Amino acid sequence: MKHLDCEEVKQSVHEYLHSELHEPELDSVTAHLANCDSCEQHYDIEIVFNQVIQRSCDEAPTQELAERVMQRLREIQDHD
Amino acid sequence: MSQEKSEKLRSFEQQALPLMPQLYGAALRWTRNPSDAEDLVQETFSKAFVAWAKFEQGTNLKAWLFRIMTNTHINLYNKRNKDQAKTALDDLEDWQIGKGESITSISTRSAEAEAMDNLPSGVIKEALDQIPEEFRMVVYYAVVEGLPYAEIADVMGTPVGTVMSRLHRGKKLLKTLLSDYASQEGYRVEAGKE
Repeated sequence: MKHLDCEEVKQSVHEYLHSELHEPELDSVTAHLANCDSCEQHYDIEIVFNQVIQRSCDEAPTQELAERVMQRLREIQDHD
Repeated sequence: MSQEKSEKLRSFEQQALPLMPQLYGAALRWTRNPSDAEDLVQETFSKAFVAWAKFEQGTNLKAWLFRIMTNTHINLYNKRNKDQAKTALDDLEDWQIGKGESITSISTRSAEAEAMDNLPSGVIKEALDQIPEEFRMVVYYAVVEGLPYAEIADVMGTPVGTVMSRLHRGKKLLKTLLSDYASQEGYRVEAGKE
């Protein structure tokens, strides 16, 4: 297994969290995280950051929009 | 209305329209206001409906709709040449983007996470709105929609490497904006709460 330093592990945080990291890098990062509080906390902060972003983007479309879109689709179909 | 025609509308209604919340969320990130977002959603669905026969059943419909939305947005609002999709920010070196510093002046990591968790949603959205749209959309698709890099690349019409670097840089830019906000607001978490 390739040994990674903290800088390299921190660089991989997004790929790790988005399941874009594959063997053998994944093993190396997982092994490092198990033994490094600093990197683990760095990852935890990124997880919280992602959750905060998800939470902030929670807008729902109005029922009027759904009706408007349906109306438009019927118009397109009628002119087809 | 012919049988075939109504079948087309029915299948589109059943498969595509339930994705309206996801499309609206993405449209809001593109346009940054509800009224333009609604227009973009309607235009995207209209284009998708016209092209419905070209959708390959069994492939990712949401990604197909997001891709139509990208093109629709570019045509409607930007009039931007696709070759200009690379922004000046892509050319900056990492150190020029800033370090994406911690949002508190306090060094403990748990305090950092707590301060971040306490940021109001409106502030996060404002920060998202301030970063360039190519970065904003990559962050949105990766973090909120959970799309794989390859699909984001497809939706945005860029190489996967660009997706990766825009995600890294987009989040750094966001963190820098949020740390500015936090320091202006005198956001503090009690020290020593580790």
